[in-house]
Amino acid sequence: MTMAHMKNPLATPDQIFHRSSLDSPPTELRDAIFFSTQCLTQAAGILLQLPQSVTAQANVLLARFWLIEPIMSHEFSDVSAATLYTVAKIGPCPCTPRDLSNVYAYLLSSSSTFLSPPGNNPPKNIPDDYYQSETSYQAFHSRILSLEHLILCSLSFDTTVSLPHPLAITYLQSMDFLYVPKEKITRRVVEYLNTALLSPQLLCLTTQPNGLAVAAIYNAAKDLGAKMPECEWWEVFDVDREDLGFLVVGMRSLEGWVGGMMGEEGVLGKKKRGGMITRKEVRDILGGDRPPQEEEEDPEVVMARRMDEKMREIEGDAA
Amino acid sequence: MDGKRQHHSSFQQLEKLGEGTYATVSHAALISVFKGRNRQTGEFVALKEIHLDSEEGTPSTAIREISLMKELKHENIVALHDVIHTENKLMLVFEYMDGDLKKYMDNNGERGMLKPHIVKSFMWQLLQGIHFCHENRVLHRDLKPQNLLINNKLQLKLGDFGLARAFGIPVNTFSNEVVTLWYRAPDVLLGSRTYNTSIDIWSAGCIMAEMFSGRPLFPGTTNEDQTIRIFRIMGTPTERTWPGLSQFPEYKANWQMYATQPLRNILPQIDEKGIDLLQRMLQLRPELRISAAEALNHEWFAEFHQPAHPQQHHPQQPMMHPHRGYQQHTVPSQNVYGNYQG
Repeated sequence: MTMAHMKNPLATPDQIFHRSSLDSPPTELRDAIFFSTQCLTQAAGILLQLPQSVTAQANVLLARFWLIEPIMSHEFSDVSAATLYTVAKIGPCPCTPRDLSNVYAYLLSSSSTFLSPPGNNPPKNIPDDYYQSETSYQAFHSRILSLEHLILCSLSFDTTVSLPHPLAITYLQSMDFLYVPKEKITRRVVEYLNTALLSPQLLCLTTQPNGLAVAAIYNAAKDLGAKMPECEWWEVFDVDREDLGFLVVGMRSLEGWVGGMMGEEGVLGKKKRGGMITRKEVRDILGGDRPPQEEEEDPEVVMARRMDEKMREIEGDAA
Repeated sequence: MDGKRQHHSSFQQLEKLGEGTYATVSHAALISVFKGRNRQTGEFVALKEIHLDSEEGTPSTAIREISLMKELKHENIVALHDVIHTENKLMLVFEYMDGDLKKYMDNNGERGMLKPHIVKSFMWQLLQGIHFCHENRVLHRDLKPQNLLINNKLQLKLGDFGLARAFGIPVNTFSNEVVTLWYRAPDVLLGSRTYNTSIDIWSAGCIMAEMFSGRPLFPGTTNEDQTIRIFRIMGTPTERTWPGLSQFPEYKANWQMYATQPLRNILPQIDEKGIDLLQRMLQLRPELRISAAEALNHEWFAEFHQPAHPQQHHPQQPMMHPHRGYQQHTVPSQNVYGNYQG
């Protein structure tokens, strides 16, 4: 109980298993959605100037939420926005729904460089692409609030997330790495920890923060050729060799996996344009085995969009 | 699903106990507290009704309060039994308490002054509650007589965790908009954003003095007035008595210099040991303030120190992580607290 602040609720094996049966797309696609959405949260956190501690907690909450709610039941970008909004709200730097809406509108527009294929020219910035009309803002706002409510209820208000970052810093302070400056190794450790948040292996839901911190330190030291203590130092931080081995591989494998996914044959690479994957695209990829989803679209959203289009026409005429 | 109606009707709503606001980022959300009765068990409950804000959604204070209270199960902390959500309201079901310390002092005190043995019992219970919070890395941040609830068995319990927050290591910088002025620690008044558990101890010290005297110890009207009132009794600190003092955002080089007043002159009602404890709680420098655990071991509480006292029972927890906590503590597979009524 005393150490509750250093521990997180973890996924049960049952939950991990059921993840693939909750009306979910095939694993490869589901992992691509997970990764893209977590990246979207990170990008939004940067544009909203939120501390990484807030954004990282939002990543963890989102992963917890998708253990409980089927991934296809809400638009991915909305779930990203709602978790970020909620975590920011209970932290020291809340963001307004308006800022949130503007940032997501931009990131989802074709002007944004978010997940655009490497090597391409950066997209042309067309402010009209991410202009938010009052109706589309209102629609976004009400979707986010109802999602927030749903997220809080499904997680039983368990919004506390213990991040591995502060632990890793504390561990690093107690260790001595020969020949490598502390700033350098710390930077690499933080990079590993941030990458772990994006991992569809759900490292943050299957491992307590101490395990993640130790594995990140191990990987960083390896990368930089830092000399580690010769004893089994991870045991001091209560991590056993087997778990460490698993985590080290898990953290290291992400880069290759992302490369494959974004490559020409990968799920995201095959997408016609870069940017955030949507539910519609997922359904298109899944092909004709599902009826067209028009009827599922909220009539209010359709109406709002039509009105937006109309408004743009009118404004265009006036200009 | 008919969960909502069923849920609602399982509590009979009785009289309104109070009304208040939850400060949100841009405006205040209305909350009302009702006395209620559990139809099945007949047991009284307090129902705290929070209206969801149409602009911001669920108030952050409500989210914090629920997420922390779920974890804090202790006899000196008000128990949160359930959370019921409807479309535009959240209803928190708490154990029922008959009143708060403020009312208790008004109704039972002699011009607000409580009898020494009552004060001691309340302080013991208050510090037990604080100790439990701190042990679980929760700062209450808003301790005041109105937030300390009393039942007719004279049990005291900490309530209203709307401003509470969890803290981790290393301690982050916090907002300094915390704690009602009168019970606010000097380091917070000076603009510190790295405060810790010691801010709750300061509040507890102010409350102890108030129970003895029937009057708030430092009833300031503004941030500045509050600071000066504290200095007038505790003495104006200097860079020499408080290294780093001049680095605080609210530091003023031209503070009026006051000498330290002996607390026993101001609070003659308190016995010598009590004054000693109070002195340790009301240290200007946060790092010198006594901790809740130390305070509970203070000899003023000697009569509560039985051999089986939990303080002696609790060895320091090792700085290790218990292996594999997930069997006990997992992501909920269904909603533990009430049901979502989409």
